[in-house]
Amino acid sequence: MISPPEQLPTEPQGRPRRRKFNLQRVVPYALLLLLIVALAATQPSLIKLSWIERKTDSTMTLVFVIIGQTLVILTGGIDLSVGGVISVSNSLAATHFGSGGPEMLLWTAIILSFGTLAGLVNGYIVARLRVQPFIATLATWSIWGGLALAILPTDGGSVPDSLFKAATGNIAGIPKSILALLLIVILWLIFRRTRLATQIFAIGSSEKAAYLSGASVVRVKMIVYAMSGFFAALAGINRTIQLTSGSPVAGNPFILSSVAAVVIGGAALSGGRGGALGGIAGAFILTLISDLIFFLGISSYYSVIFQGLLLIASVTLYSIAALIQRRRRAA
Amino acid sequence: MSALRPFFLRSRVILASYGLALVMLVVATLFRPSFGSIEHLRTLAIDASIIGFVALGQTFVILTGGIDLSIPWTLNSAAILLTLLTGGKDDALIWAVPLILSMAALIGFINGAGITLLGISPVIMTLGMNAILQGALVGYTSGGRPGSTAPPAISFLAQGSIGGIPVDLILWVVIIIGATLILSYTTLGRSIYAIGNNALAARFSGIDVRRVRIFVYMFSAVTAALAGIILTGRIGRSYLGMGDLYLFASVAAVAIGGGSILGGSGHYLGTVAGTFVLTLVAGLLPIFNLPASTQQILYGVIVLGMVLLARGRAAER
Repeated sequence: MISPPEQLPTEPQGRPRRRKFNLQRVVPYALLLLLIVALAATQPSLIKLSWIERKTDSTMTLVFVIIGQTLVILTGGIDLSVGGVISVSNSLAATHFGSGGPEMLLWTAIILSFGTLAGLVNGYIVARLRVQPFIATLATWSIWGGLALAILPTDGGSVPDSLFKAATGNIAGIPKSILALLLIVILWLIFRRTRLATQIFAIGSSEKAAYLSGASVVRVKMIVYAMSGFFAALAGINRTIQLTSGSPVAGNPFILSSVAAVVIGGAALSGGRGGALGGIAGAFILTLISDLIFFLGISSYYSVIFQGLLLIASVTLYSIAALIQRRRRAA
Repeated sequence: MSALRPFFLRSRVILASYGLALVMLVVATLFRPSFGSIEHLRTLAIDASIIGFVALGQTFVILTGGIDLSIPWTLNSAAILLTLLTGGKDDALIWAVPLILSMAALIGFINGAGITLLGISPVIMTLGMNAILQGALVGYTSGGRPGSTAPPAISFLAQGSIGGIPVDLILWVVIIIGATLILSYTTLGRSIYAIGNNALAARFSGIDVRRVRIFVYMFSAVTAALAGIILTGRIGRSYLGMGDLYLFASVAAVAIGGGSILGGSGHYLGTVAGTFVLTLVAGLLPIFNLPASTQQILYGVIVLGMVLLARGRAAER
């Protein structure tokens, strides 16, 4: 997959370019705002805390996947195996959480370790054995998908009530899912300033330059894929709680939607550009566009069209924004 | 055909994947002699051919360094249009088939134009196109079962035989020969490899890179449509989601057959070996009483193994 050569960054991209208006970075939030305004216009009674909570609940699984997928895409890679990891984690959680208690904690640890390990395997294949990420993670997706089918041949399983209660509801009047989302945003902003994040962005911008300036490319990539596996496993657990059951193919829809959300959120598949916050905005855009279509009276069967159009349109928008930026800089 | 020899000698990965297919065939036949019967092999070959058709276009696209993720719903669109337009009768085929193939070509053209003219990455463009086609089809049919049964002529194309040889296999052999000739002996073939190796260098050496890239996406959509038509003939009807399995299969067949996802190396003859491997794995499972989950695991392991083998070969050179 060779995408057209991107313009080389004219300034170091390792650190967030602060206090400088960047047209491209505004696009996902502007899109999201536009959608919310459009929704409010068609359904004024809709915009309430309970509505935000419902939307956050239903988008949260994708949000977890997106954190990992963003990191991988930032290095110029792609992780298709998240689909398999989510399926395994969903299947394991739905069959082994039992009635809650210590058993559940043990299996949570096992599932998260599995995800991390699965990610490390990807990282090893991609970084050490130098297999193209697309094909490497396509293969491991297939392997984990098969494993999930072996664990849970058909949809089923259950979730202990205690877990469901612990994961839903409010703290000080604020729904837990919204608090979790806020926590993720804060953690990302902190992470963004770490050395690791700088190296991730550097590798995505130019692997060779990052290597020459002392970043351990192999180590960083291993960590990034491991994190993607970890978050995919977390997403699988979250899906189990949300739907209170498991499915051996639960993860498959998340492969493409996570990539789509990250790209709508402003990331370049060639690496070096993007961020989890944009990706999260992308995830909400994907969720809300289906709602808007519903409220506009268009059959929900058509909603996928709009997701596809949005994907292509937003990428085109980014190209145009980049072009304007370049012109302005040249002027 | 002495020009084929050096190619085959250089492509040890392709030989290895044919070897793998052969070993699986021999092992299966040892455990269950009926596996190797002409009748069963014919069935397997027809199954393989459908992956072979889809993977033909994917091979061309991957050789240029791109990828076509819109194959599932392009295939599905062709299948559903076929049953909708013909109403299960042969009369309408005269105009329906050309119309379907032209629409596929248009889909491919839009893919190629978005990628080359707007500079959208192939993953995004074809992923978006896949979603648009899916939404259009699911929306138009309201998620139901559309159209009628397959027209008899299409069923004959997919299931019938002339003088004991299945028509579908005759078609596939013609396509294999045609694709080999194009890739190995024409300017177009050389251009495709050149673009996959280094698009910039290809442009400077006078190749119209945009035109070739648009062509491969059009070609891929048309072969996906062809696969959709034949698959409809094989199962007798069309349904939503019938193309979903063929995305993984098309990419896996190319990878198993030694094609590099980065472009520039690989061959349709390798992809054909890949389709044999994929089909044989599926056929082997019941013999050893293996659950369906094993199939996916084996697919993953084989893809990884062959890719690593290809990479090792490339490093030696």
